[in-house]
Amino acid sequence: MAEFSAEVFQNEFLSDGATDVHAVVSVTCTGAGAAGVTGAIPGGAGGVAEIIAVDTSGSMQGRNMEAAKHAAAVAVDQIPDGTLFAIIGGSHVATRIFPYPNARVPMVAMEPAARSEAKRAIATMAASGGTAISTWLRLADDLFATTPVAQKHLILLTDGKNESEPTMHLDRMIADVTGHFQCDARGVGDRWVVEELRKISTALLGTVDLIARPEDIAEDFAALVRKSMARGVAAVDLRVWAPQGSQVLFVKQVAPEVDDLTGRRTEVNPLTSAYPTGAWADETRDYHVAVRVAAKPVGSEQLAARVQVAVDGEVTAAGLVKAKWSDDSTLTARISPEVAHYTGQAELASAIQEGLAAKAAGDEATATVKLGRAVQLAAETGNDDATSRLRKIVEVENEEEGTVRLKRNTAKLDEMALDTASTKTTRVRRA
Amino acid sequence: MSADDSDLVRCPQCGENAAPGGRFCENCGTPLGDAGGPTPPAEVTLEMAPTVVDPDPATGDSAARRPCAACGGVIAPDGYCTDCGTPGQSERDHFEERPAGWVAGVCDRGVRHARNEDAMALAASGTFAALVVCDGVSSAPDSDVASLAASRAARDVLVAYGPDGPSSVEGTPNRRIAGWTDAMVAASRAAGQAVRGAAEQLAAVKGTEVTDDPPSCTFVAAVVDADLIVAGWLGDSRVYWLPDTGPAEQLSVDDSWAQEMIAAGIPRAQAESSPQAHAITRWLGPDAPDTDAHCAATVPSGPGWLLVCSDGLWNYCSDAHEMGELVRRFATCGDPHAAAAALVRWANAQGGRDNITAALARVAVEPTVTEQR
Repeated sequence: MAEFSAEVFQNEFLSDGATDVHAVVSVTCTGAGAAGVTGAIPGGAGGVAEIIAVDTSGSMQGRNMEAAKHAAAVAVDQIPDGTLFAIIGGSHVATRIFPYPNARVPMVAMEPAARSEAKRAIATMAASGGTAISTWLRLADDLFATTPVAQKHLILLTDGKNESEPTMHLDRMIADVTGHFQCDARGVGDRWVVEELRKISTALLGTVDLIARPEDIAEDFAALVRKSMARGVAAVDLRVWAPQGSQVLFVKQVAPEVDDLTGRRTEVNPLTSAYPTGAWADETRDYHVAVRVAAKPVGSEQLAARVQVAVDGEVTAAGLVKAKWSDDSTLTARISPEVAHYTGQAELASAIQEGLAAKAAGDEATATVKLGRAVQLAAETGNDDATSRLRKIVEVENEEEGTVRLKRNTAKLDEMALDTASTKTTRVRRA
Repeated sequence: MSADDSDLVRCPQCGENAAPGGRFCENCGTPLGDAGGPTPPAEVTLEMAPTVVDPDPATGDSAARRPCAACGGVIAPDGYCTDCGTPGQSERDHFEERPAGWVAGVCDRGVRHARNEDAMALAASGTFAALVVCDGVSSAPDSDVASLAASRAARDVLVAYGPDGPSSVEGTPNRRIAGWTDAMVAASRAAGQAVRGAAEQLAAVKGTEVTDDPPSCTFVAAVVDADLIVAGWLGDSRVYWLPDTGPAEQLSVDDSWAQEMIAAGIPRAQAESSPQAHAITRWLGPDAPDTDAHCAATVPSGPGWLLVCSDGLWNYCSDAHEMGELVRRFATCGDPHAAAAALVRWANAQGGRDNITAALARVAVEPTVTEQR
């Protein structure tokens, strides 16, 4: 049985009249087991369904297509027997490659015969046509809807822009399928748009990443399938209770990636909100919660939030976020190191994204300021990954003060790599 | 630890300088936190039976989960209210007693202090009542255990001298005043013994000597025996007699530095606002020179309110006449329980700087009629 624990890090002391309480809640899952083994729905179908959607638009012709087909085959090898799966080829329309288009079943359970047939079908994929990703999502959703399994996971690979349909179509489709399945999106090469895939992956509780060379796709797909299979707990909600008369300012996941959950809130009761967090393996995720409460007189204490982990509607772990008013400034002026670190990481992510956007728009002044701030934050918070990626885009003159110069001929791939990785955070170093 | 300025410790809660080596702040009682000292051992606590004013008439059991003090909501198992988030009060932090319809008291932690070191024990039977209040010295650890033990021991002794007890005080008023004075001294000695016992028990658990920072408390008690009132005290907790007609008076005389200054001629306002005002000159504890209560008696000439309280209340209203006005304001309904609760709420509203205890008895003596002949 999966076990969850929640640990709260905060400075609970507020000065006289202060109202805002910040806390980092670290949630750890252990004993999640493997997907499909521990059925999350008691008495019903546990299990996982995997769909791999590969871009078959004209631009994929050549190395990309060969590498993508090879990667799909490798992924198929990673899917264990018993898991429902399907392969989709996507261009301006989406086609189910396997099970064969004329098959009676929408998805099949993996077994040796299915595995070899799937690989044969993959080998026949050819590149032609445009790119309309909403059709790929629609087909995946239709296929998933035929299965009662608890965990549904899509791997999506593209090499270019979503140019065969208006943005609105994709946006609407994302909204339609949100909550139905999780999706990890990958872009190969440098002709795709990070923001497009990021929209998909954030709404569908997955990750987005850049694959620089086609040869690397296979390894990435294998890792994605393994990660999906390792998630033994299908649907976990983060619930936040705040007292009467208070306001939850935001709820953000801050590790392993920055992800603002505030917009995904659903109401459990007037005082409690639920935020979906998808499937979990044995892992730790950190959340930054901020609540505004009415100030009480010095000496009073109040509970600012209960942060709970709910699996299948049942609360399995909880952390308490407290507020204590004090007039001792040595107590109230402290900032919890965890809150400070993650506030810095969130700022780092937005500094990178805004800096790159400004650079792309030609606003070099803003880009220099933002990316300089990013360099400063990355150094302060020990985010070496971000530092090395930043150094490919800017010339660092003074790391501490954040003075940088934009490099003239930066490779688009390097900029995209920085963009996709911007939301990856380093964990706070615990003493 | 040397006592130079670099070692000066400030209390994190209220900012007052604390004695070097002190484990608790003398002003507000917050634990000061040892710099690398040993981890605090398990606490010795007195069995605190849930004091209940009105057991549920249907089930006969006490309110096992008391409602939230701030909003009346349900307290969750994690100790906080499910509606407003206010921490639930433990029994020790706030309890009330009502041994009879005319005698009631409320004992509360206040706003600023981390612990409730005040304690109270009441008893009543017919026209007899005993009210005991003990205020633990917050600079000595575990004074909350001491004050609770002391108040209960004293009350039990007074009940033994009461109408239902083995050593019942009887006879003419003068004989009864003498009897009750003896009873008061016996009660304060028993209370002192209880404090000593608690101190030894605590020291045994912690493996320290009793003489290091022994728990201590004040003592004040008042007995109503039909037509007379006898009060006894050590320290600065007080007894007030507040008649409906006639001058209000403070029956007890504080054993405090402020009182000695007042006796020496310094004006009351100045003496009471000085930083040393609350240093008490007599108390109960292992290091107390003697534990015989000083006593005073009064024969009421008409009905009125008897108030026994700790300094958490009278610090906001020291003068007897003003206290009379205050009690009268809250006691218009004639119910001592409502009045005591109102006094505690009022003291909290003034700031709640200290623990607050207010115990009231409605003494309904027939006004003596002086006949004109």
